[in-house]
Amino acid sequence: MKKFTLLLSALVAVATVSAGQIANNIQRVRLNGIDVIAYKTGVKDVVYLRGSLPAGDDKAPADNSMVPTLVGGMLSRGTLSHTKSEITAMLDAVGASLSFSVNSAMVEFNAKCLAKDVPLVLSLLGEQLREPAFTEEEFSRLKQQTLGGLKRALESTDFRATDTFTRTVYGAGHPNRNATIDERIAALDSATLDNLKAFHAAHYGPAYLTVVAAGDLDVASLQAAVTKSFAGWSGGTPRLVAVKNSATDDAKEQTVFMADKTSVNIVIGQATGMKYTDADAIALRTGTAILGSGFTGRLMANVRDKEGLTYDIGAGVANDMFADGEWKITATFAPALLDKGIASAKRQLTNWYENGVTAKELEHRKDNLVGSFKVGLATTDGLAQNLLVAIHRGKELTWLDEYPQVVNSLSLEQVNGVIKKHLNPDEMFLIKAGTVPEAAK
Amino acid sequence: MKRLLALSAFVASAALHAALPAVEGFSHVKSLGGIDEFRLDANGLQVLLMPDHSAPVLTFMVTYRVGSRNEVTGTTGATHLLEHLMFKGTPNHNREQGNNVDQLLERTGALYNATTWLDRTNYYQTLGSEHLATVVAMEADRMRNLYLKEEDRRPEMTVVRNEFERGENSPFQALIKEIYQAAFVAHPYHHSTIGHRSDIENVSIEKLRAFYDTFYWPDNATVSVIGDFQPAEALALIKQHYGPIPKAAKPIEEIYTSEPEQLGPRRVTVKRAGQLGVVAVGFKNSAALHADWVPTQILADILTDGTNSRLYRALTDKGLTTNVSPYNGPFRDPSLCIIFAALAPGATHEQVEKALLEEIERVKTDGVTQEEVDGAIAKQLTQLAFDRDGSFAIAGQLNEHIAMGDWQNFVQIGDKFKAVTTAHVQSVANKYFNVDQSTTGWFVPILPGAPKAAAAK
Repeated sequence: MKKFTLLLSALVAVATVSAGQIANNIQRVRLNGIDVIAYKTGVKDVVYLRGSLPAGDDKAPADNSMVPTLVGGMLSRGTLSHTKSEITAMLDAVGASLSFSVNSAMVEFNAKCLAKDVPLVLSLLGEQLREPAFTEEEFSRLKQQTLGGLKRALESTDFRATDTFTRTVYGAGHPNRNATIDERIAALDSATLDNLKAFHAAHYGPAYLTVVAAGDLDVASLQAAVTKSFAGWSGGTPRLVAVKNSATDDAKEQTVFMADKTSVNIVIGQATGMKYTDADAIALRTGTAILGSGFTGRLMANVRDKEGLTYDIGAGVANDMFADGEWKITATFAPALLDKGIASAKRQLTNWYENGVTAKELEHRKDNLVGSFKVGLATTDGLAQNLLVAIHRGKELTWLDEYPQVVNSLSLEQVNGVIKKHLNPDEMFLIKAGTVPEAAK
Repeated sequence: MKRLLALSAFVASAALHAALPAVEGFSHVKSLGGIDEFRLDANGLQVLLMPDHSAPVLTFMVTYRVGSRNEVTGTTGATHLLEHLMFKGTPNHNREQGNNVDQLLERTGALYNATTWLDRTNYYQTLGSEHLATVVAMEADRMRNLYLKEEDRRPEMTVVRNEFERGENSPFQALIKEIYQAAFVAHPYHHSTIGHRSDIENVSIEKLRAFYDTFYWPDNATVSVIGDFQPAEALALIKQHYGPIPKAAKPIEEIYTSEPEQLGPRRVTVKRAGQLGVVAVGFKNSAALHADWVPTQILADILTDGTNSRLYRALTDKGLTTNVSPYNGPFRDPSLCIIFAALAPGATHEQVEKALLEEIERVKTDGVTQEEVDGAIAKQLTQLAFDRDGSFAIAGQLNEHIAMGDWQNFVQIGDKFKAVTTAHVQSVANKYFNVDQSTTGWFVPILPGAPKAAAAK
């Protein structure tokens, strides 16, 4: 009887971690240049694989910003050894999944499978990273589907507001600055397979590849599979050192008018000039959480709960993983309540900036941050994701054990000091996207 | 594949339970798949316990068997608005005392919220296991002691209205609403869970109070505890806090409205600003616990899931769509299995709809291959394993099966997938995927600068 219960609980079990234990349970080796991080958890039979190599948008050739994204898109469209259909069939047969995405600095992969299928998935991962087929037929399909995705993005008020925000706070050349949709469509149109092959040859390789595996692992078997899948591969280029942001002289208020929208998205914010690794980063994040995180954050508690002006409003620090990032408030308002909503959000911002946070708020928020960190690590996927994020942020893997202590050691003076030091509401930008009343006139 | 099957069979057969906690006042009802069901004798509260000590967290969830299917004209959206008001406080837990739901839970770092859907409303917290007593007391308190004040309804109405407006921003979501409204003329699945704007704005606090007093009772709820806890301790806490609450004074009426047979194809069109069109074809499906639902899901997967699926090859690979996706409504009553096709630049609605229906006809006539069925089953079984990655994920899945009408389906569904054959798939294709039982929706985008009349087809 007991055996059944134990076995079953193993099947549904999650990562067994607690403070101080994570780094000690990691097995990290370098194999053929590849940084391989393994974490065996209590989960039964399933494995999550995540990883990346530095071949993101920041390495795009000067004449075409879409090339890294398109190379990433071609990885799952067939290799020199197997067609797209054959690869899909092999994964489908065992219920595994393997996908790729490209961000400002990295091409990332995300896979999940049963433990017995880790060698198969790593073999296909190796094949797809090393020898994509780059066929004309698939390239043509990818271009059309990407065009469709870009056009659909134009329908989203959320996308239009945040996309415009990147071009107001980040100067030319900064990796967090998005090209316009029109620029991306033009680049998509002009990209050639030769562009993609050249980029792949230049930047794909094992030298800066990271593989994170968590779950029901046989670590020796995992390492053997990595060795086999990537044997004989060479190359790869290091992550670029991001250029520091240079301010734009764009208008402080901008409106992206979109017809037929019943809710307007807004962004209020600025560039911070800070990366996650900077000394003040955690203090600024903690102070910002008091303003704009969760239902007890000042923005939700006042602009939503007391005044009923919005369904969602929050503040956060973002895009500081690979380069210096941004600070922003995001919210949605009905067009008729837009002015009132923005005024209310700004009132909270000003009060927070001028008067700082209280000792009680800081004490509560520390508990919240440490508690939610613990909850976030309680799944195998959450653990794998947090390990990769720590690496991307340039932290040692001990960071996951150290974080609670770092948060708990913050002082009130420190938190209120960094708010004043790094932010300036008078210099913040305001972007509105949607059927904005005054723009419709 | 064999390993998968073995694992799934194990889950389904693990009907045994170790040393059931004996807490006076509870009746043990059944045990299956590591879950023990109890009933609180005093008031009929259903309790599901699924202990697992591999991480020091747990999820506590209350599922009320009330959703938008329980609403009528004038109160559409009331279930959801009431869900929002459930965070506004009681005499014991409120902002003034510094211990309302948000104040209590955010300090612990809990992942918490509530959701409303067609058949149910649920309130959940995933948090450190040392906080179990706190959440049991809080949830039991708001089951019957909610303030429900007009001064809370007014600002919360505009919050919910903005939630409605955000949904309306998406042409895709607007199309889904139109399809359901055309497909169901009698059954309350007709209206969306968010409700009609005028109802959100005008429903009175008295009507919300009546809703609360009708449905928020222990004998209309299930409490689930999953993760790191001691069953005897959890039951004792549940008895302490829920035990004094009486059962509903009046029996809660079952919904008796059923949808009349659909006698011909229905069509809806949404025209508004946008860039690319969408074709969506919704077929009446079976209730989620009906034997046909699982084969219908496998059919939908074969049609749309992955780059080897029938419709991906027929539409996306041929440049007609940017992607295809299924939605097989898993509800207590029959709803819709919708196939979505997002048009690629240059493709027309007519082309896409014709090609989509041709592929469905091919399945109905020629059937599907064993390889296709095996692949779809393998993916579903593996997904079931991943859906058990942590107490929060388990709670999310269990909640939907409670809403369907039988939590045991959470454990049994793996075996149901394993049993699907090619014949089943062809059979449900012929039984359900008929044009006369379909509702087809087109989103027709009006490009910026184009007059609406010119864009009309």
